[in-house]
Amino acid sequence: MTTTAPNPAILAAPVQQGRSLWGDAFRRLRRDPAAVACFLVIGAYVALAVGAVYWYPDFLETQNYSERNLPPSADHWFGTDVFGRDVLAKTLLGARVSMTVGFMANAIAVPLGLALGVLGGYFGKWIDDLVVWLYTTLASIPGIILLIALKYAFQGIILFEGTFIELNLSGIHGLYIALGVLSWIGTCRIIRAETLKLKSLDYVTAARASGQGRVRILVRHIVPNLLHLAIINFTLGFVGAISAEVILSFLGLGVEVGTPSWGTMINAARLDLVVGRWWEAVAACAAMFVIVLALNIFGDRLRDALDPKLRI
Amino acid sequence: MSDGAANTTQGSAPAGNEILAIRDLKTYFPVRRGVLSRVHAWVKAVDGVSFSVQRGKTLGLVGESGCGKTTVGRTILRLIPATAGQVNFDGQDVFALGRSELRALRRRMQIIFQDPFGSLNPRMTVGTIVGEALTVHGIARGRDRDRIVAELLERCGLSASYVRRYPHEFSGGQRQRIGIARALALSPDLIICDEPVSALDVSIQSQILNLLKDLQEEMGLSYLFIAHNLAVVEHFSHEVAVMYLGRIVEKAPAEEIYRNPKHPYTQALMSAIPAVDPSRRRSRVVLTGEVPSPLNPPPGCAFHPRCPLAVPACRRDVPALVRHEGCEALHTVACHRADEMRPGMLLEHVNKGIVAAEPA
Repeated sequence: MTTTAPNPAILAAPVQQGRSLWGDAFRRLRRDPAAVACFLVIGAYVALAVGAVYWYPDFLETQNYSERNLPPSADHWFGTDVFGRDVLAKTLLGARVSMTVGFMANAIAVPLGLALGVLGGYFGKWIDDLVVWLYTTLASIPGIILLIALKYAFQGIILFEGTFIELNLSGIHGLYIALGVLSWIGTCRIIRAETLKLKSLDYVTAARASGQGRVRILVRHIVPNLLHLAIINFTLGFVGAISAEVILSFLGLGVEVGTPSWGTMINAARLDLVVGRWWEAVAACAAMFVIVLALNIFGDRLRDALDPKLRI
Repeated sequence: MSDGAANTTQGSAPAGNEILAIRDLKTYFPVRRGVLSRVHAWVKAVDGVSFSVQRGKTLGLVGESGCGKTTVGRTILRLIPATAGQVNFDGQDVFALGRSELRALRRRMQIIFQDPFGSLNPRMTVGTIVGEALTVHGIARGRDRDRIVAELLERCGLSASYVRRYPHEFSGGQRQRIGIARALALSPDLIICDEPVSALDVSIQSQILNLLKDLQEEMGLSYLFIAHNLAVVEHFSHEVAVMYLGRIVEKAPAEEIYRNPKHPYTQALMSAIPAVDPSRRRSRVVLTGEVPSPLNPPPGCAFHPRCPLAVPACRRDVPALVRHEGCEALHTVACHRADEMRPGMLLEHVNKGIVAAEPA
């Protein structure tokens, strides 16, 4: 075994394209039937949630008193509600609320947790103390109470009034913002711990030894090795956000009154159950059950596929 | 060079041809306790180490896990702040360098790691890993960089067609070669090899050692070769220093230390080298106990609690690293009984069943 002088013939050999960890994870997911099935379910929910507004543009205005409280039938698969509206339409419109809240809450929470976790873990000292203080303080207050308090505080506040990006915090916007700024703790903890581990790894030491700056190491060596955790947290965080929306809407603190959502459906069906009108509650619960199950299984499979430890 | 550490430097080769000179290096880690994180104690990981590496030569630094050899390597590279002492690299005081001077120095001193799995970023291609430093130092970009990377890979016994592949697609030995290629990218003068073969199969170990040896001859590299195994260092080093608990206990040219080990600890390590010829198998001295904690080192000679030959003086006084009777030039030992020590004496002593001198 000796070194050889550069051999032009070998240098000219075709470059072999390697498979990155991302590509590898994608391939594993594609070959995993459970992951594919769950992904299709999630995709279907998104498609239906997007489609629902176009199929039922004037849902709220439609009232049909001749068709009130009908049980499931060929015309109305999921039956009708107290105003004679189709429960299927209502469930699909509810999916829209859930998917929006789930996506937006995590779009706020995960980047926030990622940024704070990385900064605390990497730079240490007072920055870390601040981050740890922040999340331990937040975590010491029961989540649902904090959420309700924040949602109350948002009532009636309209951000950027009169502009293109006007946000009415009383409704769904306030809901996902409140959820987002409160649910980054889990992501932050995991990211901070992983950052602490990564920064002592040899490849980071090698980068320091070759004169790379702190910011470059952070961007090139630390963050790319954390992104998979952010993605997993995004998927699993969806479940929490969807449940929180349902609970808050059930309590009357979620979306604006009248907006169809699974929480408001379950709330409305509370009294119906006593007189045997089960279909509205069952439709909402079943819709939620399926998406939560699909997200959980998919998140789990995603975690397995993205774990770099399995590949080195 | 002739400062307070005169004792420890006695017997060193004349300066001038040394690329790296270390004087009385100390690296202590604070142990913080309590709400206010006050410094409660110090772990003396490296406690007054001096040695030098000759240009184009290899110094083997040997010792058990936890004796501070890795810390020595990282302190020299300023990856860990030193507590005291001096590191001179080619006439420059490493600890006095400013930011930009340090960056320039990084091109000349590189490191190879023990763990071939943790030392390569799993999300980067081999080409990026090897070539990154070239970009950072503004040496080469684009096509130029690709060409240099391809040459480095070939030189380290890898195919240049691997540039677009990822670390997880390689074996431990191949990954170690990638690590070596990365260290060579900046054409350094000195490479600190931090147990580069400890995590590899024996057959791969020799391949990597041969590669390092060839590179040394071709490029005139100097190595600080850290290992916990004297057998690995035997055929590789020009000079060997044995470390125990943050200090060097014996230092000599390689042939001399293998022919005439003076320190009981060195003798114990020697007896642990497996012999190739079964008829010449040596019986071994098995040291009992663990390396004491550097947080609470024993008084006197740090080795005395495990030394079968310890005498009362060993418990009291720290022996200096000096040249003794019957030693060649450049052979220094830190042992109170070095004058009477003969090769194999520890073994005879243990075989006679004399476990240790009576307690003081």
